Amino acid sequence: MNRFELTAAAVDLAAQREALKHPGSGGFCAFEGWVRNNNEGREVSGLEYEAYTELAIAEGERILAEAAERYGVLAASAVHRVGNLAIGDLAVWIGVSAPHRDEAFRACRYIIDEIKHRLPIWKKEHYLEGDHAWVACSHTERAHELEPPHVHGHHHHHAHPAHAGKFAPDYSRQQRLREVGEGGQRKLADARVLVIGAGGLGVPVISYLAGAGVGTLGIVDGDVLDASNLHRQVMYDARDVGQRKVDLAARRVAALNPTVEVVTYEQPLHAGDITDVFAQYDLVVECTDDLASRYLANDAAVLTSTPLVLASVYQYEGQLQVVTAQPGEPCLRCLWPEPPAPALAGSCVESGVLGPVPGVLGTMQAMEALKLLLGLPQPADHALQLVNLLDGTSQRLPIDAAAGCARHGGCVAVARRALERAHAVGELERHFVHLDAAIAAGYAIVDVREPAEISAAPLHVTSLQVPSGAISAYTLSQLERPVLLVCASGKRSAHAARLLREQGVDAWSLAGGVAALAAA
Amino acid sequence: MTRVTLQYYAQLREQAGASNEQLSTGASTLRDLYTELQARHGFSLPIDALKVAVNTQFSDWDRLLAEGDTVVFIPPVAGG
Repeated sequence: MNRFELTAAAVDLAAQREALKHPGSGGFCAFEGWVRNNNEGREVSGLEYEAYTELAIAEGERILAEAAERYGVLAASAVHRVGNLAIGDLAVWIGVSAPHRDEAFRACRYIIDEIKHRLPIWKKEHYLEGDHAWVACSHTERAHELEPPHVHGHHHHHAHPAHAGKFAPDYSRQQRLREVGEGGQRKLADARVLVIGAGGLGVPVISYLAGAGVGTLGIVDGDVLDASNLHRQVMYDARDVGQRKVDLAARRVAALNPTVEVVTYEQPLHAGDITDVFAQYDLVVECTDDLASRYLANDAAVLTSTPLVLASVYQYEGQLQVVTAQPGEPCLRCLWPEPPAPALAGSCVESGVLGPVPGVLGTMQAMEALKLLLGLPQPADHALQLVNLLDGTSQRLPIDAAAGCARHGGCVAVARRALERAHAVGELERHFVHLDAAIAAGYAIVDVREPAEISAAPLHVTSLQVPSGAISAYTLSQLERPVLLVCASGKRSAHAARLLREQGVDAWSLAGGVAALAAA
Repeated sequence: MTRVTLQYYAQLREQAGASNEQLSTGASTLRDLYTELQARHGFSLPIDALKVAVNTQFSDWDRLLAEGDTVVFIPPVAGG
């Protein structure tokens, strides 16, 4: 049971504590924040708290739920005072009960840090000299950011703020457009859009669709925020590094437009679940940096008749394609029937990108999504759009559906075969967090990365080193055990494992590659 | 010899070191032209990983080159 409360009255501490009692609790931890008589060298006579109530309560509830999930606590609650307070008054109270003291201490610390950091609460300090000032309540120290990231399973949760109904977004600027109006706004409110990837492309897509009032946003991302993301993923900030992007994105959407319901998926979609997920949405926007994901999304879109907005970037340029998923209209495979081998596409090795490039392409994806949802006028033909931001050119190349999948039985038949193959690849993968566990399980480790990659990030276990392009049953003939192939992200190793299987080798691919291993 | 204008995207632009160039070629089809360019610029992508467009229309690799054609080679890109 989690509860977050804003109150103008004094807090009944005994009742708060009593409400957290639980037969399974072995530890209880409480924190009290008091009003002190000085701040930054000035003497304070009292202060006043003002909150953006709806958002503060929604966000406070979310913080308590995060703490419960993160630390496995049994119950947590928090109360924040608003209005006028005197020196020595209690301003905030947090209580946590958990099976053991460690979870209780850590969750309590997490909750107060997040409340200070995230809640829209402002403090007006009254000074002894008679003047006053508004002081931001946020501060930067968050102890839990120093902890290693937690391992989470695949589950969905709803981030719908309980009190969102009270917030009234103002869509007047877009409703004023003749093509939008109230009818268009209702279409957006009824729409369910899935955004795959909350990175460089996904950030503008999520921001614009949330701002426009799309009713439900699904967000898929398995990554945590890295400092190297910040130059292009502009809705996150430096303090978010190390946190899961789906959580950050959900929080950002709640702050931007609390009326939007957010559904998060913290593992990438795979061949086994993707069509079921797509069937729950009206439109999908693919924003990953992964060709395999883009092809998988294309196939699922075609099979479920869900329109798909694709974009990708490379250094200073980008490509944009809308797959309508209607009979007779072209898909991604009508252009490029198969993705190039991972080593050729360079997908395991960063090619570099300038921040505004995914910003531009993601913004174009948001525009295409809104055009589809609102039924705005569109060109009659279907095209691949190429944008080069270095020389400022853009070309629109019409796609002839008759020259694509139509020659191989049509998009639906092609997509069905591809999805079946992707399913088979999933059965080539093994999940390990430590390679020692793989060795203990009887696997011989084969590192299929290039020599330069290996010397930059060695594996720290005994391994045979054979680059993926050179691998064959012959190169592994001295190994009799099952072999586990390892590359940077799991793509080259999956490709190599499939080749080796065809040659009779008991080969497996480390899912997610080196990136999925725990730090040594 | 046929004079054509070439435009490159993504890895091809990187490997060619330019986003476009003018060329006089003895190649008769787009397929021959790409083979010639592979040797010249060391393009690593095989022809079946690419799309080709001529004068802003996607084209078949067996199309014959005509004087003044603008030819665009496009690989799928992965970044996001």
